[in-house]
Amino acid sequence: MSTRTFIYALWCLGVAGLFAMGAIYAWSPFAEGSRARTHAGFYGPTHK
Amino acid sequence: MQPEAAIQPEPAPAAKALTCPSCGGSVALRAAGYTVHVACQYCSSILDVTDPQVKLVTTYSLHMAELEIPLGTRGVLRGVEWEAIGYLQRSENGMWAWEEYLLFNPYHGYRWLVKVRGGWSLGETLTVTPDWLSYDQLGVGPETYTHFFADGEAQVDYVLGEFYWRVAVGEKVATADWVRPGAMLSREQNAHEISWTRNALLSPAEMQKAFGIQPQAKIWPPLPHQPSPWGEWLKTGAMLGALAFAFLLVFAIFFGGTSWTAAGNFPVAADGREQSVTLGPIVLPHRYQSVHLRADVPQLENGWLDLDYSLVERTTQQVYEAYGAAERYSGSDSDGPWSEGSRKAEVSIASVPVGTYDLVVEYKANRWSGVSGYADAVSWMDPANAPVVQVEVRRGAVYASNLLIALFLIAAPLLLALIWHIAFETARKSESDFATSDEDDDE
Repeated sequence: MSTRTFIYALWCLGVAGLFAMGAIYAWSPFAEGSRARTHAGFYGPTHK
Repeated sequence: MQPEAAIQPEPAPAAKALTCPSCGGSVALRAAGYTVHVACQYCSSILDVTDPQVKLVTTYSLHMAELEIPLGTRGVLRGVEWEAIGYLQRSENGMWAWEEYLLFNPYHGYRWLVKVRGGWSLGETLTVTPDWLSYDQLGVGPETYTHFFADGEAQVDYVLGEFYWRVAVGEKVATADWVRPGAMLSREQNAHEISWTRNALLSPAEMQKAFGIQPQAKIWPPLPHQPSPWGEWLKTGAMLGALAFAFLLVFAIFFGGTSWTAAGNFPVAADGREQSVTLGPIVLPHRYQSVHLRADVPQLENGWLDLDYSLVERTTQQVYEAYGAAERYSGSDSDGPWSEGSRKAEVSIASVPVGTYDLVVEYKANRWSGVSGYADAVSWMDPANAPVVQVEVRRGAVYASNLLIALFLIAAPLLLALIWHIAFETARKSESDFATSDEDDDE
């Protein structure tokens, strides 16, 4: 196995590991909601 | 009966010394018995050694070339020990010069060590004629070669050492080359014969080990038969990447989550006041899960509905909240009828711990007054429409966005390698006589 392949395999393992961690904690950077800090209230329409 | 004597290899030709008739220098003959011409290492005169009197063929008073591999040097290449016995400088009629060393081993014959733009190849003269596979491809055994250099003319510019033919400065042959990754097939033709040589590219490490040649900086543009450093790896990398992504896909399927279930329906007030409803209980069994909420407002038209969700854990009163809005607008203008938005709104709440939750929904319906500033005569919120909000819930673990991010991260190194591979191949092919105009432009 070449060094390049080994490093890429490590990279893939790292990505898979982060993905699995994200799944274990059911986390996403794009989730709309999360644990409350302050109440935000109502927002207006996004239409022009 | 006498035991059969072991078969002994023929003894190696002995080195022989002769005197240069031009300068009187002592010239060592390393392949005596095979060598026809030898160039004096002191004055570069060409001597014909087939004559016992050693005839002077041509006298040169050129300076001795500072050879990277001094003649007489021995080195092991691909398991065979070779001795450098001859040196040629050649060019395409004075341009694009290259160097060739003639290597000799009494049991394996002759080979060529060819140096072009800092890259080294080991050349072996073929004893078979390549097969024509197509108009631009030749085959030698299982190997396929593609035409790279069209008919050129190579001349000898400088000679040193000994050779198995009557070499002379100015000697010219017609040349053409075909390549495959790692090897070049060269045809040389003169009035008497056509010879084919297969030049196998040598790695800098091989040359350093064999003859102590220090590796050169990056050769750019690449040599015609230089394999892309990314080509082979791309195949292995693609397999690894596919394997990793398949694992993530299976993982995502198993931990994707539940299907949608109804959490409750509630009416929308016609006056657009803020309302609140509590749904539940929602039982979340896993240590952490994502909670996805989907609101559907079938009667929504030219208006929007603000939705504030709060998941409240019954024991700890910990709150997880999210905001969503369903918006739907339609009308007609000079381009005809139009519509935008959706009557459905979906949000998700990440990392919600195990527990029993109430879902508190605070919501407020709104009417859009339209471009004209006048609201529709009949609002979607009118009691006659009986507007309701239907909320559904599902829980999960793996977000599709995480899967996409992982796919991007896995593919990114492969994409980079592919870009570098294409750049390498474009630069390599741009040197060919058969390069397309695009490849020439890229140079």
